Amino acid sequence: MNEIWQGFLKAVELIISLDPEVMEIAGRSLRISVTSALLASTICIPLGSTIHFYNFRGKRILINLIQTFFSVPTVCIGLFVFVIFSRAGPLGELNILFTPTAMVIGQMILITPVLLGLTISALSGVDKAISDTARSLGASNLQTMLAIIREARYAMMATVIMGFGRAISEVGCALMVGGNIRGFTRIITTAISLETSKGELELSIALGIILLTLALIINTILNRIQQR
Amino acid sequence: MKKITSLLIALVMLVSSVGAMAGCDNEEASAVSPLEPQERLRVATTTSLYDTGLWGYLEPMFEEEYDVELDIIYAGTGAALEYGRRGDVDVITVHDKARELQFIADGDGIERVPFAYNYYLIVGPEADPAGIAGMSPEEAFTVLMTTGSGQFVSRGDESGTHGMEKRIWANAGYEYTAVQEAGDWYIEAGKGMGPTLLMASEKQAYTLTDVGTYLSYKGDLDLVPIVDEGDVLLNVYSAIAINPELHSDTRSEMADNLINFLTSPDIQELIGEYGVEEYGLQLFIPCAGAEPGA
Amino acid sequence: MALIEVVGLQQKYGEREILKDINLSISKGEVFALIGPTGAGKTTLLRLLDLLDIPTTGKIYFNGTDVAHSGKARLEARRKMAFVLQKPVVFNMSVYDNIICGLKWRQMKSDSCQHKVKDILEMVDLTTYKNRNARTLSGGEAQRVAIARAIVTEPEVLLLDEPTANLDPASALKIEELIVHIINLHNTTLIMSTHDMSQGQRLAHRIGVLINGKVLHAGSPREVFNSPRTREVAAFIGAENIISGVIKTKDGDIVTVETANKMIEAVSSYAVGEAVYTCIRPEEITISLVKPSSSARNSFNGKITRVITTGSLSRVEVDCGFSLTALITKRSAEELNLATDKEVYLTFKATGVHLIKKS
Repeated sequence: MNEIWQGFLKAVELIISLDPEVMEIAGRSLRISVTSALLASTICIPLGSTIHFYNFRGKRILINLIQTFFSVPTVCIGLFVFVIFSRAGPLGELNILFTPTAMVIGQMILITPVLLGLTISALSGVDKAISDTARSLGASNLQTMLAIIREARYAMMATVIMGFGRAISEVGCALMVGGNIRGFTRIITTAISLETSKGELELSIALGIILLTLALIINTILNRIQQR
Repeated sequence: MKKITSLLIALVMLVSSVGAMAGCDNEEASAVSPLEPQERLRVATTTSLYDTGLWGYLEPMFEEEYDVELDIIYAGTGAALEYGRRGDVDVITVHDKARELQFIADGDGIERVPFAYNYYLIVGPEADPAGIAGMSPEEAFTVLMTTGSGQFVSRGDESGTHGMEKRIWANAGYEYTAVQEAGDWYIEAGKGMGPTLLMASEKQAYTLTDVGTYLSYKGDLDLVPIVDEGDVLLNVYSAIAINPELHSDTRSEMADNLINFLTSPDIQELIGEYGVEEYGLQLFIPCAGAEPGA
Repeated sequence: MALIEVVGLQQKYGEREILKDINLSISKGEVFALIGPTGAGKTTLLRLLDLLDIPTTGKIYFNGTDVAHSGKARLEARRKMAFVLQKPVVFNMSVYDNIICGLKWRQMKSDSCQHKVKDILEMVDLTTYKNRNARTLSGGEAQRVAIARAIVTEPEVLLLDEPTANLDPASALKIEELIVHIINLHNTTLIMSTHDMSQGQRLAHRIGVLINGKVLHAGSPREVFNSPRTREVAAFIGAENIISGVIKTKDGDIVTVETANKMIEAVSSYAVGEAVYTCIRPEEITISLVKPSSSARNSFNGKITRVITTGSLSRVEVDCGFSLTALITKRSAEELNLATDKEVYLTFKATGVHLIKKS
């Protein structure tokens, strides 16, 4: 128990002293997760909307599959991305294994099911009468879809927050495809993993607290936007 | 409330950019672009070279001299060999002669260049419940196997150290599968050297370790040397450059530079002096490319 | 040329046929009220007219163009119409933003929209709510938003689905006044469905009676209420004294209908031998205790089976061999001392009897 209190003190110390290595990995954690969350949202919100609005054979099976992948272990995604981008793999030529780029891609793949599934769920929660009302007011199909997305905007923002949360908190994928290289691909979660395995419990707890603080700040910002 | 939002956004951007700048000090140019302007050399290393801090010590020196980014990837010998086979790294530094020779025979590596060595030892609780202190490694293992009077934590991860452990079992006349089934006293950790030592300390068990990691380990270890004499306990670290013919973008020139660096007289001297002041013992004995006679 | 013409419209949901063979013609500037029991298909028909749904079969012509099935034509025609749902929903945004939606979707510039919206807000008396989130409004206020939203686009056709169904009488009246004001302003064609028959009578030029998916009668309010075309229509509009019989004799316009061994005189153009139903308004039947000597040709006697008094009116049911119901004032009922089993005479004119063909 003492470790937790010591860890808290250490966290405060690291933040106040602007410890360069901690700042560096915190900054990298943020950059990678914010990037992957934004990019994935840009793809998944339109894609999820399309799946929701159009009816096609196998739609139910697809949604079922998407929800199943909510539970995919991060290390499995890591393995998958590793095998693809390894030089021995199909996209090895791109030479992005063990770089932050690979980590962003890995996190994007990881949070895609959650973003898709929750987007579809958010849109399903919108009253059907909204669609009728919009169309009766002369909205084209596209305008109607945008109106529905607009009605669901609160739930959509919650989706993005969820996606970001899953991205910034994962270890397995970042470790496998990033390699936890000091000064290059080390982020807070992989650093916690390493420090814990070295027995540096205080430092690990401190890093954990810093990660939560970052997440709190990001979520507060997103919440403010959500309230608008 | 809008003010608080702007404040928080500013804070986030500050952290990100301070992080980026701090990262620049730590040699990072751009976070996400795959086209880094600076050359990067990837090395997969066995955990003991990393856990002792030797790589952390040598890395900046090499980077400065050759103006290159060194990416050290913490693996185990087994994982490092696999990365090497796949061409995901340019150099591997490992310590399992038999597998290294196979690696080269398979055409995956060019040449095996030993650059340092030390010794393995069996460490354990001061109380020594199995009474194996001072025995030879094979004798000690035999006692553990037959009496089950002490717990043993194995690396269990196909690392060089794990390979050494298996060789001792074989020397003592046991099939490794039999050892794995022998009982609850045999624990397969599946971890790197440092974490394995921690576990052994926690459980007050015996384990096989290289002297470097054992000495330099930052965690509190409640373990003492139990068995440290035996021909078999020689631990040779070698660097192998990946065969550029198999993977066209291997940076073979820089890989050669690294190997030359590791075997250069100045660096060899530094390797030999590493940790002496702190621990009173050499952690690594330089051997400049030549196979050390045991 | 009719503004909207509907030919052979049919709408099925799976196996259920909601609308069967609807044929309607609606002129520009007309107020057309659709009345019928719940589940008759009024909302379905309105949706089809607003081109929200595609009919199973049939044609809808808007200004002469067939728009039932073509995507682009539908959107264009729909933009000339506006529909207010029975339970209107407001978008989760300010009242102002709600109202401006239709204009924005037609790509109208922001600044020219501004004063239109302002005028509409005044018309529906919601100016003070301009910037409030529409979701925070009461039901009645939300409905005004929905109406404002619909009319700000100056549609050629306005469709209203039971606009006053969920409102208290005072609010309902206000909304009615608003509607009348609106349609007079731009000579808008109005198609509305309603439960309230008196509302239909008050506001509409023509009434369509929709029962079980078919328009059984479309005509002026007077026609529909005084001369319902079929028995179901008659029953629905509250006509009473529907008696089954056969035309026995004919003398010019006057026919006699034989029923239960009695003859009822009526004015009709139907031929002898035609099987018919009669329709007699209860208020047109007079009750007396002795046989009257009036000019009325129909006079029957019988025993009172029931007297039901509600408010200031009394309904008197009499068995004359067939059942007749008269409606008189409570006062008269008391003066005549009407009670069950009393013998009375019921009298009504031939012109008060409307005949419906049995088909």
